Amino acid sequence: MSRAGARRPGPVLWLAAGFAFVLLLSPACVVAIVSFSSGQFLAFPPPGFSLRWYAALFANQEIMQALATSAILASIVAAIALLAGIPAAYAIARLDFPGRALLSGLLMGPLLLPTLVIGLALLLTLQPLRLVATWPGLALAHCTIAVPFAVRIMITAISAVPPELEAAARTLGASPFRAAVRVTLPLATPGIIASAALAFLISFDETVISLFLVGPRLSTLPVELFRYTDNRSDPLVAALSMLLIAIALAVILLVERVAGLTRTLSRD
Amino acid sequence: MSAYLSLAGLTRRFGSAPPAVDRLSLDLDRGELLALLGPSGCGKTTTLRLLAGLERADAGRILVGGRNVTDLPPEVRNMGVVFQSYALFPHMTAAENVAFGLESRGIRRREREARVAEVLEMVGLSALAQRKPRQMSGGQQQRVALARALAIRPDLLLLDEPLSALDAQLRDGVREEIRALQRRLGTTTVFVTHDQAEALALADLVAVIDRGRLEQIAPPEELFERPATPFVARFVGRSTAFAGVVEAPGRVRIGGTLLAAAETPRPGPAEVFIRPHRVQLGAEGDLPVEVTLRTYEGAMALLTLATPFGTLLAELPAAAGHRPGDRLRMTLPADALRVFAA
Amino acid sequence: MRGWLLAAPALLVIGLGFLLPVGVLFRISLNRTDEGGAMQADLTTETYARLLADDFIAGLAWDTVILAGGCAAAATLLALPLALVVRAAPPVWRGPLALAAIAPLMVSGTGRIVGWLAILGDFGIVNGALAMLGLPEQRLINNWTGVRIGLTESLMPYAVLVLLAGLGRLDPLFDEAAATLGAGRTRTFLRVTLPLAAPALLAAFALTLVLGISAFITPRLMGGGRVFVIATEIYDLALEMVDWPAAAALAMLLLVALAALLLLRSLLPGGQR
Repeated sequence: MSRAGARRPGPVLWLAAGFAFVLLLSPACVVAIVSFSSGQFLAFPPPGFSLRWYAALFANQEIMQALATSAILASIVAAIALLAGIPAAYAIARLDFPGRALLSGLLMGPLLLPTLVIGLALLLTLQPLRLVATWPGLALAHCTIAVPFAVRIMITAISAVPPELEAAARTLGASPFRAAVRVTLPLATPGIIASAALAFLISFDETVISLFLVGPRLSTLPVELFRYTDNRSDPLVAALSMLLIAIALAVILLVERVAGLTRTLSRD
Repeated sequence: MSAYLSLAGLTRRFGSAPPAVDRLSLDLDRGELLALLGPSGCGKTTTLRLLAGLERADAGRILVGGRNVTDLPPEVRNMGVVFQSYALFPHMTAAENVAFGLESRGIRRREREARVAEVLEMVGLSALAQRKPRQMSGGQQQRVALARALAIRPDLLLLDEPLSALDAQLRDGVREEIRALQRRLGTTTVFVTHDQAEALALADLVAVIDRGRLEQIAPPEELFERPATPFVARFVGRSTAFAGVVEAPGRVRIGGTLLAAAETPRPGPAEVFIRPHRVQLGAEGDLPVEVTLRTYEGAMALLTLATPFGTLLAELPAAAGHRPGDRLRMTLPADALRVFAA
Repeated sequence: MRGWLLAAPALLVIGLGFLLPVGVLFRISLNRTDEGGAMQADLTTETYARLLADDFIAGLAWDTVILAGGCAAAATLLALPLALVVRAAPPVWRGPLALAAIAPLMVSGTGRIVGWLAILGDFGIVNGALAMLGLPEQRLINNWTGVRIGLTESLMPYAVLVLLAGLGRLDPLFDEAAATLGAGRTRTFLRVTLPLAAPALLAAFALTLVLGISAFITPRLMGGGRVFVIATEIYDLALEMVDWPAAAALAMLLLVALAALLLLRSLLPGGQR
């Protein structure tokens, strides 16, 4: 049946949808515009345009420090998410062993709870261990959220590789490890890249848990953004928000290029 | 001379269902080519997988060259396997695919490259060494798969329905190539097929399998001419089956007609198979028949005959020119019948 | 066995970062706080009793549920036309439109709030327009109004996601059938489209409700410190009043409430997945 025959949504529906779209997209658009404001306040429309707030942003020591922390932390989290997630996903996707469903459920656990509760729980656990506001503490917290996502993506990616290929590799003399590493994983590369990128972004943008676990010595960019918005109301926060969006976009575009590149390579 | 490949009581069960492979035993000499023939689901592919080590046997033994491989993992069995779907590594070139088995054995680069070149030459694909599987036709992919399996100089070569994925025109040619290659290398080979023509044409020995059990293992001609069980008689060739009664040694009655048979079981109810290519038709003969249908097959013609005891299939040269409606006389030599106790 | 070994690193992370802390959370909720405000190790339900008897907490819970319920409903209702339009759009447009609806998820929650502050604030466009029309200025941020608007908007992408997935099963044939039977647009929508979309709507509402109840950033930032919900209370108890047992107990109560919600959802028709 062609779409033309179906009842097209009436004008009321279109209007409502339009309103909904405007509601959804206006904050992001406004943030972009206000970040270039020349004024003192979060005024929209802005009195004029200037780059002063971006300049102020990059001149702010605390924020730049937090940026570096977030970038390094996110990279560490991405690495750990891969190192932990890939073998776990392989086991769940390929092997048959007692308790496999239980394992899968356990690994997805952190996704069931609100980040607020996880943040609180981690604070209560790490404080007595003096691990609050430390790299290990923050890394553990972020990994707890990132690993389930990485595992999920890798399970799909690995399941998509025909198991027969590993069987063929085994008959050719490859140990199960070699067969997995030389045959299945290279064919799951797009999944690996997606997992790494997602883990990076999850860590980089993570706000609530980090709020519980940062301190004067160590803070992340989203937390600084939160604090700044809480305390002040000048367009610096708009510039900072744009910085976060820009970095997230950059990662996504990079992944597109690398993953797209991989896909073309494997096609030849 | 003890056999090169020996299966003894090989059994594989899946859950509580009847066994997929049921106490299978057979012997194969070195350099021979064995076909595992049977209908879908008969357990022939499972047997192949048991040989390769991709399945674990529940009971029985597999000996290759005197070595008990039953409990060994696939990577140490030194068997070359060509899968039905070829299972070529998509992210590697033909040369890299072929080299994979050699890499796993730690063979050094120079020798590896030499062996790869040699084996690709053997299958006629030297020009395509740097191509990826996606850039090759089905026939070319199959040759790469074959080359990959042979490069490791396997003790045993296992082929799973090697010709089924190929176009009909290619099949004959590839069949001959496989046979020539196998003879030249002297590699002991087992291949699985549901196509009896393929089995009869390629193999030195054919093992007919039904529901996990070995029905008969024999060279092709013996299998075709002297099927040992009703299943084999039904599965190989195009015999027509009749219910009959053995009245005396060498004598069997179907309906109202008494026929001579070369071998008969004990007197009593029997299943009689009449081989189409042994039926003789002419102006003179024992029984009156009428041709009711003619299926032209090129060199041969398949004739459906109405006989005093029932409908019968006969296979004769098309040049004989028998047509529907012809009334002829038919003679059934004693070796045209295979009789089994019912 | 090999399976558990391969998963060991991941299990270690989840064990240390999730299982252990949740256990600690539960354990600390059984402690008590003495008059001095310090935590005393104990095994008592005193903290739970204290919280459950507290009128302030009760009011908080009520406010949270009302807020979340209202915003979830609004978000779902607003997401419906969006999802329907995306479905009805020519295939070429469908992908980008859906992406546009979900893209706000990529902008961090705080970032979107900055946008709302600029739109709804004293110097924002809404007040600017009102001023031009000679109407009085409205306080739209640092109060419940701002929180309601901000929370609704932040929940919409989730509702759209669920609706797009669920509406995929809606066959345009039904619309056609209604048309051939002489039903007008409104009638078709009310009597055919809506009832068929009901399971997806319910799913979207359930998800956004759960997210809304545990929302923290929006109430905190859009509320300017004047809006109190369960999430902000947990945060204050933990980090400002440093009353860990209370924070832990309140968090556990929140979990119980969410679990009850999910149970309720699965018992309703169409809730099983």
